[in-house]
Amino acid sequence: MFDLEIEKLLDLVQKPARYMGGELNSIQRDFEHTSFRYCFGFPDVYEVGMSHVGSRILYDIINKRPDTLCERVFMPWVDMADLMRERHIPLFSLETRHPVRDFDILGITLQYEMSYTNILEILDLSGIPLHSEDRTWADPIVIAGGPCAFNPEPLYHFIDAFSIGDGEVSTLETIEVVERCKRAGMSREECLYELSQLRGVYVPSLYEASYHEDGTLAAFRPIRVGVPERVQKNMVADLDAAEYPENVIVPYMEIVHDRINIEVLRGCTRGCRFCQAGMIYRPVRERSMERILDLAQKLVDNTGYEEITLSSLSTGDYSCLPQLAHEMMERFEKQRVSLSLPSLRLDSELKATLEETQRVRKTSLTYAMEAGTQRLRDVINKGITEEDLMSSVADAFAGGWSGIKLYFMFGLPTETQEDLDGISALAQKVVRQYFATPKEKRARGLRVHCSASCFVPKPFTPFQWEPQDTLEQFKEKQDYLCHIMHIKGVEFNWHTPQVSFLEAVFARGDRRMADVLETAWRNGCRFDGWSDHFLFDTWMKAFETCGVDPAFYANRRREKGELFPWAFIDAGVTEEFLWREHELAMQAKVTPDCRRGCHGCGLKRFEGACRS
Amino acid sequence: MRLLIEFQKTERVRHLGLLDMQRTMQRALRRSHLPVQYSKGFNPHMNMSFASALSSGIPGDAEILDVSLAEPVTEEEALQALRTALPAAMPVTRVRLVDDRFKKMGAKLEAAAYVFTLHTDSETAARLLEAIPRFLAEKEILALRKSKSAERMVDIRPMIFHLEGNATESGAALQATVSFTEPATLKPTLLLDSLCRYAGIEVPPTFIRRTGLFGRNEQAELVPLFDMP
Repeated sequence: MFDLEIEKLLDLVQKPARYMGGELNSIQRDFEHTSFRYCFGFPDVYEVGMSHVGSRILYDIINKRPDTLCERVFMPWVDMADLMRERHIPLFSLETRHPVRDFDILGITLQYEMSYTNILEILDLSGIPLHSEDRTWADPIVIAGGPCAFNPEPLYHFIDAFSIGDGEVSTLETIEVVERCKRAGMSREECLYELSQLRGVYVPSLYEASYHEDGTLAAFRPIRVGVPERVQKNMVADLDAAEYPENVIVPYMEIVHDRINIEVLRGCTRGCRFCQAGMIYRPVRERSMERILDLAQKLVDNTGYEEITLSSLSTGDYSCLPQLAHEMMERFEKQRVSLSLPSLRLDSELKATLEETQRVRKTSLTYAMEAGTQRLRDVINKGITEEDLMSSVADAFAGGWSGIKLYFMFGLPTETQEDLDGISALAQKVVRQYFATPKEKRARGLRVHCSASCFVPKPFTPFQWEPQDTLEQFKEKQDYLCHIMHIKGVEFNWHTPQVSFLEAVFARGDRRMADVLETAWRNGCRFDGWSDHFLFDTWMKAFETCGVDPAFYANRRREKGELFPWAFIDAGVTEEFLWREHELAMQAKVTPDCRRGCHGCGLKRFEGACRS
Repeated sequence: MRLLIEFQKTERVRHLGLLDMQRTMQRALRRSHLPVQYSKGFNPHMNMSFASALSSGIPGDAEILDVSLAEPVTEEEALQALRTALPAAMPVTRVRLVDDRFKKMGAKLEAAAYVFTLHTDSETAARLLEAIPRFLAEKEILALRKSKSAERMVDIRPMIFHLEGNATESGAALQATVSFTEPATLKPTLLLDSLCRYAGIEVPPTFIRRTGLFGRNEQAELVPLFDMP
């Protein structure tokens, strides 16, 4: 454990606690005497990775498997990465400080396209060959999962197998296969073939892609008999039956989401047309109130945390949220545990719940309006009206809240200047509502944070056919927004369009993006999601070097019927449904929440999964 | 009633800073279900303090946390509760109940003991070790003490109560006991820097560990802080 060379490094780097391990509830096993070793890698720094619930679920599940251990590794910050390289110290796991290369499986979670260069950095720091075909049994099987695995192609060269969909069950299945193949003395190639036989597993080396002259995909097919043509996502039908950690790691250093996090439901029925998560995590599955309360009690007792978050894509849609919130307040107030409800939908029946939460703490309220006019909100199927916002904000101001966050996107399909003006108009209305609230009721210090991000079209959404605005268009719109958002009491934030542009390229990228990625990484790109490390010019040079036009991926309108690089994945929602939604969007026609009637998105094909 | 908790900050978690330690202790105390007293006011927090903040990077063998209790407990109960509540890397070693009038631990602090593990070649180690008697024989040792506001030359010789060393496989080990009071605190790194400069060697890679905290009894002798009357 006390490795002198590592300890010397830790005295030289920023935030050494990132590499320390030994946290409460972390699992410390005998590495040499455990037969299967899984290393869970998160391609960002410790405080980001430790905030991710999915990783914690899998860490718990794998460690519960007999004679198996799961340890963690995070992307070392640049100072540490450089020193490790200079001193030839291979990337090591947090728990027992074993080289990542010594594990049987390296699992990597794909949360965000801008962490792809970090994956290459992790492989390289570990001494694992970058390309799947160069690896031997001296290397772990590299498996990746998470939302970005729904378009795995840009990473096809670096990942041995992708696990698509919910990981609770499939992760154990992949372990079983790798363990069995290694015991039987099978070749690595055969092991990969065996993995391809599992539901939800995609082994890129067993497929080939060919392209038309215009650059679009011509065909995509398996190159070996027995390999499935389509890969169907994994899905946990019953969340109550699924494992959820009751004993989570409590980091010593402060992490981004430093609290108990309980996933109350998975999936979303709203059908916002820009939202990939809302499409790929269908159908909606709720955890029962009894289970949530039981988990909450155990987690409070086992961690000592003072705050609980109920998380999901849309916690406001949890069917018995007011009752749950009330029950939690009752139980935990004496223990001084507070409850926070993020990503609240303002059109839910929340007034009573909000009044309960404020007994403990008044955090700021967040409203994801996404677009400035009703017309554009209808296009994107964001079922929120200005009246919803204003009545909720009025209640909030009267109830003593003074911090409001408004989230918007720009560059949405069909957007006009009127829609941008609408963003400013809404922010102004919120400010006016505050001053219209009687002085004795409202809290002092109005803070309206308004942020506008650049729209990124994603696979498996009704906008997967849509072009993204060009950088010039984004720049122009951003300048205009900055100009009209000079409003007293409003702070306006925006994101750099360059990052969103690259995100769009990768989101809908194909195999040819792998070379670009590798070139950019070789030229120094990493931590692209961190603005101070994002090297846009280096990226553009990489595109040039590889002869790849990024606009082909980001800014091109796709025709109906184009074969998409991700089309071999059955994500649940069908292409017919997505196109239908696309057409309705163009007519600014809304599709109501599917709990009020099925719209035939395709999930009914999965037996027992869809209950609405 | 107050509870004094003696615990270790082991090597594994040596990089924790004061804020990390505070958070960790607060969570451990919550898990322990001990009746810790909270401050009054809008944002209640636990009434607790460390006898001395220990820098990030330095482990400690006998650190002390001073906690106010709202209800009485027995030492046995407290010890049991803390044994399960504290992370394995920060185990409790002893507890002691004192009444509310007992002077705060931090105010009784007079000295701290450190062990230095130096990684260097035997020749350099020998030069350092042979310099120690001469170093201690000096009437005055001036060193530059940096604080948040200023830098100042101070005589550190009176702040060194004890210093000895021996050769080891990896180089050398030093044991030192130094003054630790409000006006006269000698940081272990400053002692090491001064000694190395005096011996004419570069400061080698060194791990420092705090082995004890001390107060003074009525005979002005140093006694472990935890056992102070």
